Amino acid sequence: MADSNAPKPSSSVKLVLLGEAAVGKSSLVLRFVNNDFQENKEPTIGAAFLTQKCNLPTRTIKFEIWDTAGQERFASLAPMYYRNAQAALVVYDLTKPTSLIKAKHWVAELQRQASPGIVIALVGNKLDLTNTGPGGGGDADGAGAEDSGDARKVTTEEAKTYAEEEGLLFYETSAKTGYNVTEVFTAIANAIPETSLKTARGPGASHAGGRAEEQRVNLNGPRDSNAKEACAC
Amino acid sequence: MEPLSDTLWDVVICGTGLQQSLLALALSRSGKKILHIDPNEFYGGAEAALSLQEAEQWVGRISSGTGGGLFRAAAVSRSEDDTRLSPSRAYSLALAPTVIHARSALLSQLVSSRAYRQVEFLAVGAFYIFKPPQDPAQKPTLARIPSTREEVFSTTAVATKSKRLLMKFLKFVLDYEASPQRELWQPHADAPLTDLLRQEFKMDAELQTYILTLTLSLDDRISTRDGLAVIHRHLSSMGVYGPGFAALYPKWGGLSEIAQVSCRAGAVGGAVYMLATGIKETESTDDGVKLLLTSGDSVKARMLVRADDSPNHNQLSIRRLVAVVDSPLSSLFEAAVEGAPKPAVAVIAFPVGSVEEASGTESQRPIYLSAHSSDTGECPAGQTDALDLALQAFLRAVPEDRVPKVLFKLQYDQLDGGSESLGSHGPVFTFPTRSSPLSFDDSVLEPVREVWKKMMGDAAVEAEYMVFEDREGAVDDDDVY
Repeated sequence: MADSNAPKPSSSVKLVLLGEAAVGKSSLVLRFVNNDFQENKEPTIGAAFLTQKCNLPTRTIKFEIWDTAGQERFASLAPMYYRNAQAALVVYDLTKPTSLIKAKHWVAELQRQASPGIVIALVGNKLDLTNTGPGGGGDADGAGAEDSGDARKVTTEEAKTYAEEEGLLFYETSAKTGYNVTEVFTAIANAIPETSLKTARGPGASHAGGRAEEQRVNLNGPRDSNAKEACAC
Repeated sequence: MEPLSDTLWDVVICGTGLQQSLLALALSRSGKKILHIDPNEFYGGAEAALSLQEAEQWVGRISSGTGGGLFRAAAVSRSEDDTRLSPSRAYSLALAPTVIHARSALLSQLVSSRAYRQVEFLAVGAFYIFKPPQDPAQKPTLARIPSTREEVFSTTAVATKSKRLLMKFLKFVLDYEASPQRELWQPHADAPLTDLLRQEFKMDAELQTYILTLTLSLDDRISTRDGLAVIHRHLSSMGVYGPGFAALYPKWGGLSEIAQVSCRAGAVGGAVYMLATGIKETESTDDGVKLLLTSGDSVKARMLVRADDSPNHNQLSIRRLVAVVDSPLSSLFEAAVEGAPKPAVAVIAFPVGSVEEASGTESQRPIYLSAHSSDTGECPAGQTDALDLALQAFLRAVPEDRVPKVLFKLQYDQLDGGSESLGSHGPVFTFPTRSSPLSFDDSVLEPVREVWKKMMGDAAVEAEYMVFEDREGAVDDDDVY
């Protein structure tokens, strides 16, 4: 991310996290937001969402990153979770083949529930548990690999092919070492079409066009100040 | 991740209707171990908002007698023209399209608990009265009810003499608890409000109907005490959050959205959520309850909270109809005054006798139609969903270029639960259930607070109920809404 003090257009982007429990969703976000990693982190993140800015050459994207807060465990995410999301990070654990199956399920769910223009990134996490270099394509058959200390069970090729078929961004990362984490978020920021940034809240609200903002009632405003004048007394 | 059966839960909450969801929100910072389940595959219970497909499946379940809860006689139909319907998920049909008055304690709780940050609120616009034509050859009309001083001044629908009476009454209601107003209505407190309007304010039948409509009551014999309270709330809510409107509607499905946001707050606080999971068996134990869930899990909890789902068959039920029509009904959603937000909801009242039923008899009960524009996010642009038996009459009355067509219809009866107040049997608490009225009734909030108090025991501090700081990361500098 390039640093710049010049004022650039800034837009908020809602990004939702999806993926099987314990694949490292929250860890990826903590690495991105705080440049921090906690071994044996508790399952929930304890925040409604986290924010982090991503500076691009021509604009600043402010990610509002929504964690599933554990509601993915029993497939109990509410529609409001997907609503107005302009980006999604679908995470699997590249040492656990079932987690890629689950990831494919979430991609299908996003295609069904989310706004049509949503940018989806497929991320294979825990690259630190493999001894193949990035993009190296580990051995899908784990039996031999474990002896060499390589826990990879999902090849780069397999996931990459799937991502290309579905039109997803694709990265392999390590939340533990930080490898590729910033790159994922920068790639997402770059992939979000300029047009969907025009409205402040993204494509979900776009059928109401620019009116959406002026229509929304602000509960934070002066609750009592003008009530007297406007009422019928 | 440890299995569910290994935990001793402080509370199992069954159902994600508004009350249970608000309880989850209230307990979201308590550190209690909470398991929140719902037999439905969707959030919101009786306040849910459904896609077309979900609505069809829901009707199927009610019709087959499995899991209908307090709903009966559900039916769904698509017009032959249903190719003009958008994909199922473009719709979010609210089962309880309740508007929330600005002075409602629900809004205060959503603000103090910070849950409001994730809800988009829209303005509720004008209230109209349906007027059957004098001459059957003519179209019925919709008359706007003036409910502010400015509106009373500017309206042409009311004669000057009536304007004075209306003005006098509005002024009276705004301070009705004080003397000497109180002495005027107290003797009539338990009599129908219309008696007061006729005897003390000399209003004719038409003006009485205008006032009665502001109560949004399904009972045209609503008492003076209750009626004045509701009208006072309406008038004192006017202008609180901006000019020209008194009530709000949460975008994307009304109370359903509040239930979802509350449950998310529960999850962020560590509660475990399981949809499509109900309770098969309940067994009391020394220190709580043992539950067998439909998922096959057996769990132990200190407390169980659920909603009353055994109907009171003597209780008047509400009949509802949700319809999607192929017109934006733009004429209903114009801003009331300059600077007012564009409303997304309008309410049209059909007074007793204004609609002729199929049998040729006149309607015996007031009917309310709540028209929602596509800005509610409940249907695609260019369509509207409306609620009413008098739908057809309304569609003829609405001043659009052509009579809109109905594309999709969902109807159902809803019964009230049998219990009047919070049920408590040892560790099991049961919320009383009432079908949501047209305007949110704060009395449903009380049982939630009661259960919260019981759960928190000595740690309960009333002043801290539903008062939370923003969650880390949620505070934002420039785009808080």
